[in-house]
Amino acid sequence: MRPSRLDLLQGTLDLLILRTLQSGDAQHGWAISERIQQISQDVLQVNQGSLYPALHRLEHQGWIKAEWGVSDLGRRARFYRLTAAGRKQLLHETDNWARLAAAIGRVLELA
Amino acid sequence: MSWSDFRLRIRALVFRARVEKELEDEVEFHLAMARRKHAAAGRSQEEAARMARLDFGRIGAVKEDCRGVRGNQVFETALQDVRYALRSFRRNPGFVFTVAGAIALGLGLNTALFTVFNAYVLRPISVRDPYSLYGFTWTNREGRGHAFSWAEYQQFEKTNPAFSEVAAVQYLYTRVDGRPLQGQLVTGNYFQMLGVGAAVGRTLMPEDTAEPGRDPVLVLSYQTWQTVFAGRPDIIGTKITIRGCPMQVIGVARQGFQDLSEVPRDFWAPLTMAGRLQDGPDLFGAAHPERLNVVGRIKPGQSASSAKAALFAWSRQITSQLAEDRKPVGILLLSKATAIPLTPELMLVFSPLVAAFGLVLLLACTNVANMMLARAMARQREIGIRLSLGAARARLIRQLLTESILLSIPAAILGLAVSQITTGGALRVMFATVPKDMLELIHQVPLPLDWRVFGFMLLASLASAFLFGLAPAIQATRAGVMLAARGEFTLDIRPARLRNGLVIAQITVCTLLLLACGVLVRTTMAMSTFDIGFRTRAVIAMNIVEKGRTRVVDALASDAGVDSVAAASSIPLDGWVPGANVSGQNGSAISAAYNYVSPEYFGMLGIPILRGRNFTPAEAASGIPVGILSAAAAARLFPNTSSVGQVIHLSGKPAGDVRIIGVAGDVVTCCIAFGKDAALLYLPTVPSAAQRALLVRVRGEVEAERARLDARLRALAPGAVDDIHSLDQYYAAGIYPFRAASWIGFAVGGLALLLTVSGIYGVLSYSVTQRTKEIGIRVALGATTGSVTGLVLKQSLRLAAVGIGLGLPLALGLFRLLAARIIFMRVFDLAVFTGGVLLVASAALAAGYIPSRRAARIDPIQTLRYD
Repeated sequence: MRPSRLDLLQGTLDLLILRTLQSGDAQHGWAISERIQQISQDVLQVNQGSLYPALHRLEHQGWIKAEWGVSDLGRRARFYRLTAAGRKQLLHETDNWARLAAAIGRVLELA
Repeated sequence: MSWSDFRLRIRALVFRARVEKELEDEVEFHLAMARRKHAAAGRSQEEAARMARLDFGRIGAVKEDCRGVRGNQVFETALQDVRYALRSFRRNPGFVFTVAGAIALGLGLNTALFTVFNAYVLRPISVRDPYSLYGFTWTNREGRGHAFSWAEYQQFEKTNPAFSEVAAVQYLYTRVDGRPLQGQLVTGNYFQMLGVGAAVGRTLMPEDTAEPGRDPVLVLSYQTWQTVFAGRPDIIGTKITIRGCPMQVIGVARQGFQDLSEVPRDFWAPLTMAGRLQDGPDLFGAAHPERLNVVGRIKPGQSASSAKAALFAWSRQITSQLAEDRKPVGILLLSKATAIPLTPELMLVFSPLVAAFGLVLLLACTNVANMMLARAMARQREIGIRLSLGAARARLIRQLLTESILLSIPAAILGLAVSQITTGGALRVMFATVPKDMLELIHQVPLPLDWRVFGFMLLASLASAFLFGLAPAIQATRAGVMLAARGEFTLDIRPARLRNGLVIAQITVCTLLLLACGVLVRTTMAMSTFDIGFRTRAVIAMNIVEKGRTRVVDALASDAGVDSVAAASSIPLDGWVPGANVSGQNGSAISAAYNYVSPEYFGMLGIPILRGRNFTPAEAASGIPVGILSAAAAARLFPNTSSVGQVIHLSGKPAGDVRIIGVAGDVVTCCIAFGKDAALLYLPTVPSAAQRALLVRVRGEVEAERARLDARLRALAPGAVDDIHSLDQYYAAGIYPFRAASWIGFAVGGLALLLTVSGIYGVLSYSVTQRTKEIGIRVALGATTGSVTGLVLKQSLRLAAVGIGLGLPLALGLFRLLAARIIFMRVFDLAVFTGGVLLVASAALAAGYIPSRRAARIDPIQTLRYD
């Protein structure tokens, strides 16, 4: 039986994508989606429909860069890579997230 | 918008196909990977593909979301609309050409008008900072502007509160070698104030006006140098004799500068030369003649209204010594930024022309609106299907409007050509028809196509696109979705009402324009057949420079070709007669025009002395205070008694008591358009008196005699004759503007008729096509050819009747307004109204003829088989 899946909170998909790309290797959309699910041990279900608009949005904001390459299996695929601005944005959002999580945690414990 | 965003957006717009393909590939890659994963988990091929699609969600919607990120939808749908419209135009080039042609006619006409308006009223003159330049004067109780004396100007220059720089100017008209030249006497700072340099030599300097009479120099305008002096390179140093005074050319003003006046000037000379170039009391002498106009640059930061207030206070203060009736009551501050300042009066004068031309454009738009509507109706099925498939109505309207705007582009280009042809043609016609002596005075002002003209074209073509596009677009997209879903795509719409409304509006406008044109023609006719009360034949009038007067008068008196010589202070039909207040001893008072004339005047012009007698030579020579009244003046001053022998009192410029010795027939002295003088007083004078124009009656052919006398007098007394024209030319010049206006009226009326006929034709033929089945049934039931033809013609006449019915009261109202200003105009001219109505009605019949014939040829068998 699969563990029950959680839908992503609004806005967190961007953070996860940026984080996934942090290692520095360029990755295509499929790989990013698989990676997020794999690391979250299948708890986080990336809605594949919203993945691509999110990627394009990040690209428009200049945080990631897209280029065409060849996948491991020899198919043409669109690879995304984190830019310098994206790296900065990731730090910023990670920080935000940590503070938010801590705040919510505190409320849950103490309220 | 960040740089990467901007770059990606542009890329998506420019390389649209490539970006779309990339999106496609990216999604396909993802699906392929998903299929592989599911297949690896042991699913069948089909099952894997299904699950991959399922995981992904709605592929179309996802792609649309990705496109949404680009934020280019507005452009993209616009581009889509453009492509769609172009495709449909390509299928129907005839339609495009007809629409563009009709709009281009209206647009071109209006652009031509705007080009002229722009050249005079909107385009700033070519000087430094034109918008701070103002002409200044104060107005007296009669609303007349004040001309400044030299002393007043000097005071103005020193103490005025609003201008940082000022200059005084005075108009000077002269003839050089028989050719009229219009000049401006200016203070030495004039060119410096305007920042105008020289093309050759130098412009005037303050040193040139240091001392009265010392510097006989002048600066030519570039245009005059090129046209009158053929651009001679050795022009500098040449002597030109102006009114008998040799003046040396010291320079040519730079190209494009034509002075601040509405009419370009040919030369500028130092104001200090006024005494040697001009008659009358010395400008700088003790008489303080009031002749100067002042222009200046308003202080930076000063608004026109605050300047006005300050100038009013200043004017009141410096005139505190003057009599109450000469004190300023208002300030006139006229912008000199353009040749003609944009004033409410100007707009009023221009408005009939603008209205007429605008209506022609409106007619063209109405025609096109009807065509667009017919086209939209033909596409009803397509529009209905799109609506029922969920297309937003706004989106469809936008698409139809895109078509209109696209159509207005070729229309604007064609319109520009039309406007160029119109202005060129109108100028040629004007030069060909203008009275010969008037022609010499006309300077052709350049009519540039600058950004204002293009801006006007752009706005006007967009506005017309909306005018002819919006109503059809709204109407055509009204089809109920329910009906469309049932497959009934044509039921709900009643375009007939809109179409008929448009045609009726056309007929109304056309009726109005035709009637206006008719009244204009009749007014001109009335004017040209109007009895002006005297004979112009074989009379030549001339204005004389005082220095040469004696020689000219003597020469004329002894000339064998001259029958008689007379003098007058105002040449009849010259457009201006001074006036004074006249009161009788019985207490009656009127304001009357006055003209100093010699006894020969009445005989020469054939003006009858109705009662009493003419001036005797002795009275004329001594200037004894006797007068002759015009019949109208006599009737107004002395309605019950005989006026001969009465003593009247004049107040104003000539003042004092005058004994009436005779009554003369009424004539037109001022201008033909104003009719006979309401009241005129003749006072005695002789040809040798100063400031009198001379009139001579010649024995030979008048034009040949004019040339002969001009040459003879020029040899005898160079520069003494300022101008010399036959009275026939004065008459022609007076009538000409009205003749020109009626030609414009003809052109506008003809165009309106043409557009209306084609509009009616379009609507009727469309309606015949639509009623094919009905007419077929009628014919099958025994309707004759005649009754079918009548059916269509009756429809046409019905439209015409409503249009005419609306047009008539509009025209009457308009004419009532105009008749207050033009005396020859009759508000209700039966001939014009009958003719206009008949013309419109027969135009409606003619326009209905071809469609009615087509209706009559309808074969019931074919028609009823139609579905």
